[in-house]
Amino acid sequence: MNAVETSILNKIRDLSRMPELVAQFAEQHGLSEDVVFGMNVALDEMLSNIIKYGYADDAIHEIHVRLSVSGRMLVAEIEDDGQPFDPCAAGPVDVDAPLEERKVGGLGIHIVRNLMAEVGYARVADRNRLVMKMLLEPATKEGIHGTE
Amino acid sequence: MELSERKDNDVTVLEVVGRVDSVTSPDLGTRLTSILSTPPRKVLIDFGRLEYISSAGFRVLFLASKQAGESGGRLALCGLSAKALELFSIAGFLKLFTIAPSRAEGIAALR
Repeated sequence: MNAVETSILNKIRDLSRMPELVAQFAEQHGLSEDVVFGMNVALDEMLSNIIKYGYADDAIHEIHVRLSVSGRMLVAEIEDDGQPFDPCAAGPVDVDAPLEERKVGGLGIHIVRNLMAEVGYARVADRNRLVMKMLLEPATKEGIHGTE
Repeated sequence: MELSERKDNDVTVLEVVGRVDSVTSPDLGTRLTSILSTPPRKVLIDFGRLEYISSAGFRVLFLASKQAGESGGRLALCGLSAKALELFSIAGFLKLFTIAPSRAEGIAALR
């Protein structure tokens, strides 16, 4: 099968399951160490934001994560039933500003935007749906095999 | 994440193995706070076996660097991979830290 998926609870410690999911998927698809590094970082940033700031109550919630490959992209889809939050609408982050003055969660979103080729958001049926797409190989390496 | 500490005269070398993320960074923060609260407050963090670091880890490093600055301590990093350095650059953290290629150079930078 071309995808792996799992659900985690809205507990920070549950995030420790994600790197195993990424590793399992990376092995199936022969993903590079850099892609694994980037996807692990992006998932930690986005999922920890949802867990820390996404819910107005103290109840247990499930967050759904799915990884797949589409063309030359690794695609991560995250779905949660938290408060509406569009990370794509967050303003630019001044990485030269003192850390204390930066907005909560802003650095993580800034990092994700830099690592990903595309980040998309939609609110569907009272759920947040985030899609992150990452290039499987850096653009500069594409010519190596193409010219052989 | 696993942490191991060893002394090189006045410098504490803290080796970080594995992931530094939302789950593990509090433990790294606790260890750094502890090392930096006792003189001579010099820490070299060896990231040679780092799997990845997220912004939760950057925050912990920043707070440790601040603690070091306020207490007359010093903090340096070594062993970062090209990918990790790229992330430090994206986050705007390259200039906040003393970053050395090797452990020996990191120790030298703290003296």
